[in-house]
Amino acid sequence: MASQTLTTPAMPAGQVGRSIPRLEAAAKVTGRAEYVHNMSLPGMLHGKIFRSVIPHGKIKHLDLDAARAVEGVFLVAAIDDIRKVIAHPYYGPAFHDQPILADGKVRYAGEPVAVVLADEAHIAEEAAGLISAEYEELPGVYDEVEAHGAQVFVHDELKPAATFPDLAHLLGRRDTNVALDFQLRRGDADAAFAAAEHVFEHHFRTQPTMHTPLEPFVSIADASGGSLTLHTASQNPSFVRIEIARLLGWPENRVRVKVPYLGGGFGGKLYIKLEALVTALSLIARRPVKISLTMQEQFFMVMRHAATIRIKSGVDKSGRITARSCEVWWNGGAYADIGPRVTQKAGFTAAGPYDIDNVELNSYAVYTNRTPAGALRGFGAPQTCWAYETHTDMIAAKLGIDQLAFRRMNLLHDGRPQATGTILRDAAIDKVLDRVAERMNWGTPLERGTGRIRRGRGIAIGFKGITAPTTSVAMINLYADGSCGLYIGTVDMGQGSDTCMAQIAAEVLNLDAESIKVIHPDTDVTPYDMGTLGSRSTFHMGTAVRLAALDANQKIAALAEELGVPPNSNLPFSELLRRKYRMQAGNIIGIGSFIPGYDKPDQETGQSANVTPFWGVGGSGAEVEIDIETGEFKVTKLVNVADVGAAINPKLLAAQLSGAAIMQLGFTTSENMLYRDGQLTNGSFADYKIPCLLDMPAVFINEFVESRQHDGPFGAKGAGESTTIAVSPAIGNAIADAIGVRLMDLPLTAEAIHGAILAAGIGGDDEH
Amino acid sequence: MRPFDLVEPATLEEAFHLLEGDDPAVRPIGGGTALMLMMKEQVFRPVRLVSLRHLAPQFGAISIDADHRMIRFGATTSFSELEHSAVVARHLPVVVRTMRTLANVRVRNVATLGGNLAHADPHLDLPPVWIALGAQIVIENPAGPRIVPAEDIFEGYYETNLRHDDIIREIRVPLNASQRASYVKITTRSAHDWPALGIAVRLEMKDGLAHHPRIVLSAATNKPTRLVRTEALAHGQPITPASLRELGEAAVSEADIASDSRGSADYKKHLLRVHLGRALHALALEE
Ligand SMILES: Cc1cc2nc3c(=O)[nH]c(=O)nc-3n(C[C@H](O)[C@H](O)[C@H](O)COP(=O)(O)OP(=O)(O)OC[C@H]3O[C@@H](n4cnc5c(N)ncnc54)[C@H](O)[C@@H]3O)c2cc1C
Repeated sequence: MASQTLTTPAMPAGQVGRSIPRLEAAAKVTGRAEYVHNMSLPGMLHGKIFRSVIPHGKIKHLDLDAARAVEGVFLVAAIDDIRKVIAHPYYGPAFHDQPILADGKVRYAGEPVAVVLADEAHIAEEAAGLISAEYEELPGVYDEVEAHGAQVFVHDELKPAATFPDLAHLLGRRDTNVALDFQLRRGDADAAFAAAEHVFEHHFRTQPTMHTPLEPFVSIADASGGSLTLHTASQNPSFVRIEIARLLGWPENRVRVKVPYLGGGFGGKLYIKLEALVTALSLIARRPVKISLTMQEQFFMVMRHAATIRIKSGVDKSGRITARSCEVWWNGGAYADIGPRVTQKAGFTAAGPYDIDNVELNSYAVYTNRTPAGALRGFGAPQTCWAYETHTDMIAAKLGIDQLAFRRMNLLHDGRPQATGTILRDAAIDKVLDRVAERMNWGTPLERGTGRIRRGRGIAIGFKGITAPTTSVAMINLYADGSCGLYIGTVDMGQGSDTCMAQIAAEVLNLDAESIKVIHPDTDVTPYDMGTLGSRSTFHMGTAVRLAALDANQKIAALAEELGVPPNSNLPFSELLRRKYRMQAGNIIGIGSFIPGYDKPDQETGQSANVTPFWGVGGSGAEVEIDIETGEFKVTKLVNVADVGAAINPKLLAAQLSGAAIMQLGFTTSENMLYRDGQLTNGSFADYKIPCLLDMPAVFINEFVESRQHDGPFGAKGAGESTTIAVSPAIGNAIADAIGVRLMDLPLTAEAIHGAILAAGIGGDDEH
Repeated sequence: MRPFDLVEPATLEEAFHLLEGDDPAVRPIGGGTALMLMMKEQVFRPVRLVSLRHLAPQFGAISIDADHRMIRFGATTSFSELEHSAVVARHLPVVVRTMRTLANVRVRNVATLGGNLAHADPHLDLPPVWIALGAQIVIENPAGPRIVPAEDIFEGYYETNLRHDDIIREIRVPLNASQRASYVKITTRSAHDWPALGIAVRLEMKDGLAHHPRIVLSAATNKPTRLVRTEALAHGQPITPASLRELGEAAVSEADIASDSRGSADYKKHLLRVHLGRALHALALEE
């Protein structure tokens, strides 16, 4: 063929579906990958935060003199100093409720009150230790259910941000701790309960936990030259630019946000975290300012919502669930962050992946005097799934129906309306459940143990909707030598998005994925993306990338036509550019922009014709072994199965699925932010325990089912959260299967199991 | 972290000289694994750290007396050296087994036996083992050396009666071919965690009866503590379900256990009851 004489690489086939290693693997393992953590700018100052030690109170006096007197201290700032550069220093994605530094009042223990800037971090640290504050303590509210009706208010007035269309209905209100209440009404739940053969009601709780990225929060602002550049460990560069520009009253083009690799994010590094603070400080100091939190300070930035969940079901004679009602209280902490969206999105699916005609849901985002709560891998779905899948298991047990059979009997299938009224499509809930059952050998009896060792197994399945409506824009730049740059705002935070996006572009452009350079988020360079969150990137950005590549291909075809090159000549675009410009010059630029359809749910009923771009589906199965003398237990087998549509990169996908499941294993068995009177009592990694390799189940299976998202890029959908959803109830159900006792609250600890065993009077004390 | 001096004297005299005075910001440093954490937390801000690593020729050896009645560990011996020593494996297998779940390989490569004792965190795994084995600690001081039983240096939570100018030189463990010993580390959260309880037990079995037992509880108490009444009760007893139940109750009533994030006092007492029984039972069955 004529084209083979040119320097065209052999036609790469099947870039999508290939398990290529991550593009940045070598840079990471050799320590060369770029992180904000390691970055230093000339003249840069280091900031150290002085934090509140009380959960709620008015600041009566702040003594900054001793800190100012420390040699080497450049500046000590409190809110009045911030106001000089940002007149209204309040930010947030849902409400503009969070002050850059405490403004007359502190609302949680650990809240930033003042900052010291110095040339050296250790001087700033030492000086911050010399700051003192006097407070008039106010009564606090800590429990989400109590706070719902309390007369103590975390905020006097709520000021909605009106940034996102899905939260456009938030109201400015006074004298309430409820930031958002979502309600859904489908059918007639009251009538269905009245007619039901059986009615079951249970209450569940989940604990506050933390994201724990390996790289703590870190941001650098450089406002020394009249414009502003932020280097920040953020999952959300576009939002950071919008919000900082708003705070400053500047046009977006004066704010530049750059994000290199992230050492993990998990939802913690979304929206604004340290960016507003370093921006203000850099404007005051007229020098670059960096703030890097310690591991321990992460406990005071953002956490996952604790929740209290009441759930009630009506079941008919045949075992069909005819009605379900759920009430969920989300402990949002002192500032709303994105809690209202968690409340709403997790509200949609709080009744579980079942086909139920009559549903009633209430979901409340409640302010309390604790660390703010935000998004964390799963966006509330793991909390609601803990409730509905434990509840579902309990009903099956009570009715004497096999747990798998009971679920199958009630499962929601494609073509049927989900609780929001949206017709289910491309959600392989049934396949996922089947695969979990198969991998658990559900049909074969389990060896249940003897003496003090008892074994049990359990399954669970859940699903989640995806944040909508959101936009991604991608740009492909084909350089004149035949190489390619992909310009996207998706943040690679360890999930492998660079690799996956390069594969999608390569597939369309007929290039090798490994040859594509992915340009990291830089708002001066890369186009808008709503954020790297909620399993949205593969679907949204992946589609935008595919469209950008198609656009580039069209432009190549147009150029060929312009040059009189016959179609299908297979002449590479570099040769076309050379012919046009008579030298190695020019670019071909492809643009893709994607926003999926969306229908805003009705205020009163939560009904929507199109509530989510796709459904994330995850099922889990667990086997446990329990020492009934002590309650000590091991998860001996954990199976996780997801519907991710088609796999762009099976190997990366497997890592996502197992990573999500391990994270949820920690949230199930050991991680717990313990509070006493509004004070965190275990704010260190010696006392807040994340799982390690030794905690991995001996048998640990992570799989995805054969499936296709009709409008996803090459049939794919998001996969980052699916296997977080059902892990907790699978383990809880296995424990119940082993000892016949239910735990209703997370985490599932040996002590809690022992307590339940004692209360139920199981086992003897005669074994040794 | 504030800048500080790190000095590495070659002789004990020099070390004493560098430690002179009573400034608490001047301290010896072994592996630095405990000190560094305290420095990062700003709990400890050193002015001068006196490293003992150049004293290693006299302070770093593991040796066994010719008559095999005593094994000696220099205070700068690292955990890894202990872990991989054939002599220790043969004569004190319990020490090698304890290393398996102690910290991680990076910490074990640098942490020293002297620093481990002087740190006096009640959650440390090795101190209860030393106490159970009847170890003696050799302490150097400008005024002259002294030898004390291991349990006698611990005063309380992170507290010892070591003086500012004391330097731990050696740990001596008497050997006894017929002794059996074990250490149980009980974690209640993730596998890699500080123990909720550490239980070290050593005894001899004669004609089916336990002799000269030493039973030490750590982590749940504010310092590693011998349960002497339980020891006395166990001496001369057969190991049966009934005696184990009795010993478990004795241990629970003797130990001063408080609640913390690893478990309530009641739960930890229950774990003591059960795991002490299991440890004694396993030792009785050992060949
Ligand atoms: C990540 C991590 C995990 C860990 N996990 C475990 C675990 O699972 N189990 C466990 O038991 N421990 C664990 N530890 C603790 C570890 O055992 C101790 O930090 C270590 O034993 C201290 O020894 P060092 O030589 O490093 O002491 P250093 O930090 O050097 O010193 C500690 C103290 O001893 C003093 N000191 C040092 N040497 C002498 C001497 N010769 N004479 C007098 N005073 C001296 C110092 O002044 C200081 O006060 C862990 C530590 C880390 C960092």
